[in-house]
Amino acid sequence: MIKHVILIAMLLAIYAVFTVSLQDLEQIYQTSADYFREFGVDQTGSNNLVTAILLDYRLFDSLFEAGILLIAVSGIIWISKHDIEEKNARFMLDKFKTPDLFVTFSRLVYPLMLAFGFYIIINGHVSPGGGFQGGAIVATAILILYYIDADKETNIGMIVTVEKFLYLTILIIASLSIFTRGTFFTNVFPYETSSTSTQVIYLVTLNILIGFKVALGLWAIFTAFLKEGR
Amino acid sequence: MHFIPVYLIFVPVLAALFIYVFKSRHMNWLALAAQAVLTVLLVLYYREFSGQYENTLIVFGGWNDRIGISLVNDEISMSFMFLTVFSWWMVLIYTFEQGKTNHNFLFFLMFLEGVFLALLQTNDLFNMFVFIELLSILVAVLIAFKKTGDAFRAGLYYLVISKAAMMMFLLSIILVYNSFGTINILLVREAMQSTDSLTVVRLSYVLFMVAVMVKSAFVPLYSWLPRAHGVAESGISALLSGLVVKGGLYLFIRLNQMYEYANLNYADFFYWIGALTAVVGVMFALSQKDMKQILAYHTISQIGIVMMGLSKLHDPDMFIGGFLHIFNHALFKSLLFLGAGVIISAYRTKKVTDIRGVMRTMPFVSVFMIIGMLSITGAPFFNGFISKSIIKYGIVDSGIRYWILFVVNIGTATSFIKMSQIFFGPKTMTIRIRKPLKNFALMSLAFACVMLGNFYIPISEGFFGFRVQYIDIGTWANFFDYFLALTIGYVFYRFVIAPDPVPVRYIREHKMTFQQANYLFVVMIVVLLTVFVWW
Repeated sequence: MIKHVILIAMLLAIYAVFTVSLQDLEQIYQTSADYFREFGVDQTGSNNLVTAILLDYRLFDSLFEAGILLIAVSGIIWISKHDIEEKNARFMLDKFKTPDLFVTFSRLVYPLMLAFGFYIIINGHVSPGGGFQGGAIVATAILILYYIDADKETNIGMIVTVEKFLYLTILIIASLSIFTRGTFFTNVFPYETSSTSTQVIYLVTLNILIGFKVALGLWAIFTAFLKEGR
Repeated sequence: MHFIPVYLIFVPVLAALFIYVFKSRHMNWLALAAQAVLTVLLVLYYREFSGQYENTLIVFGGWNDRIGISLVNDEISMSFMFLTVFSWWMVLIYTFEQGKTNHNFLFFLMFLEGVFLALLQTNDLFNMFVFIELLSILVAVLIAFKKTGDAFRAGLYYLVISKAAMMMFLLSIILVYNSFGTINILLVREAMQSTDSLTVVRLSYVLFMVAVMVKSAFVPLYSWLPRAHGVAESGISALLSGLVVKGGLYLFIRLNQMYEYANLNYADFFYWIGALTAVVGVMFALSQKDMKQILAYHTISQIGIVMMGLSKLHDPDMFIGGFLHIFNHALFKSLLFLGAGVIISAYRTKKVTDIRGVMRTMPFVSVFMIIGMLSITGAPFFNGFISKSIIKYGIVDSGIRYWILFVVNIGTATSFIKMSQIFFGPKTMTIRIRKPLKNFALMSLAFACVMLGNFYIPISEGFFGFRVQYIDIGTWANFFDYFLALTIGYVFYRFVIAPDPVPVRYIREHKMTFQQANYLFVVMIVVLLTVFVWW
């Protein structure tokens, strides 16, 4: 009991320091937002400034954020892999336990979700969204597929291999700018000479690749979990 | 030439991906090929830029460096990179004969190398955060690689604890960005001059330091390390103890450089944290009987000694001592872990009290192990002696600090006297598998230990740019000190540790629960806040 009281007191103290210190920000608050507002669209060709940062100004980070998912997928697959034969494994999603209404609605929603996911991926440079978010939506749509067809068989090894190839392609495309601009990890088309619509090609390509990579990665993760929870 | 840092990051990453995609035994050679390419690139880079590190800045995309991501190198990151490549050579050679699952293992291992090299070079706080996250996941997977219950628990324990720490790190990055409008480390460092140590800057420092303390396993946030390093495979343990834990210390150096102008008086506080870590680590190591647990707890205590040196960032001599000890510890701890791995796989037990007659059964491995033990206990003519002496010279006038180091030395000596009982006894029949590559890795590490112990003057001047001429190995006082420590250690072992009294058993069976670890985490934040914000 006394331990809990002390814990709460300590957390309150930390909170107090936080609130006090945030008042300091009135004195020294600085941000780079003005830079992005002023030059973002011209330099990257993306109306969505988040995508501008993600796929151009800080592309190096995004590559390794995609890498985190890659490693998480391979790690989960490796750890959850069992040595027993599981070719005929049935998933825990039993057809009899899933309500018919849910299955019917899933059938209805599935194509819509898929289309919505692709929309988010492709329009990442115009409106909020992009490869990471759209990929997650596509993966959710695929997850619904398991409710519709509980006996669905998935070859995880294949998915993971394709995911690795996609990651390789992303790395290659991201570093292509060494040939056109003499520096790594930015748009292939230099903003000084090419128009915004040319630059968009690059953004859409990267968004699509990242979207597929994320979707495949999440698909592999939940397939591994489904097999685990069988 | 200018982009070699980028190639250094992506050569191992690409090798890892190819190894994973083409799951063939022959792909194992690809890892060695990538390693060779890496070595050549690193040497080229060193020859090009040594002495003129101000030219190493790379800003990706050619953007303004306030918003872009940049890489930069200096003497510290350069020497760390050499250590990284060397450690990976050793571990790759050691684990080369591992068998069928090797390609999966190599995928994680090579990716880890790329990520670690990137972490060393980055000049951007958020970039650093991304790499530490990747590092945590990779290390957790490698700890749990054997897929036994213990390994799995240790891996998850490490992952969750380091996630909690990294959330603090992320919060701190947000505070820094809002204060200075950039997360470029060099620019933040310059901007600190005009802040006059506001609370928000101090708070961000506290949160950074909590994360660093977890990552580099300081008392009281060390509880993940003995579990993780005790259960992982020996090759992985060697890598984690020798190098990856030092990632936390590297962050400590980098971040304290960043806060150099913020008028934070941290030296004494971290000195005592280091001393406490050293003492507690030795205390636990003395009570253990599991060979790998002993080595894991010694990692904690040696990190404490390193910290005693590093905490004096503005006192060049002490700092050099701590910095050199990082390298020396990496060499002899890898050697000890790899040697222990060979012995454990031959005897099929980890208990120090059950293994006998290693000297007769495996003479080569024993010689290398003894070199490692002499190094870690700080014998003259071995590398541990050099760095420990530099730290000792820095504190020799300040009474209690000197005695703490002496006590830690005695503890280390005692614990390795205990471990050396495995060498005595008659020859035993063990599973004999000829593994020349393992012996080769051990031999290289032992050779490096002896070289650094004897030719420390040219090596430290060439690689690190320090002058350590004032260390004199051959004086009688050094031998006297060492044998005094050994004698006290032997007496202490014979009459206190060997009979296994109740307190020793109590310490051995003490395991910190996850709840306690989290509680201590919060306590530590409050302690740091008290020291750095309210004072």
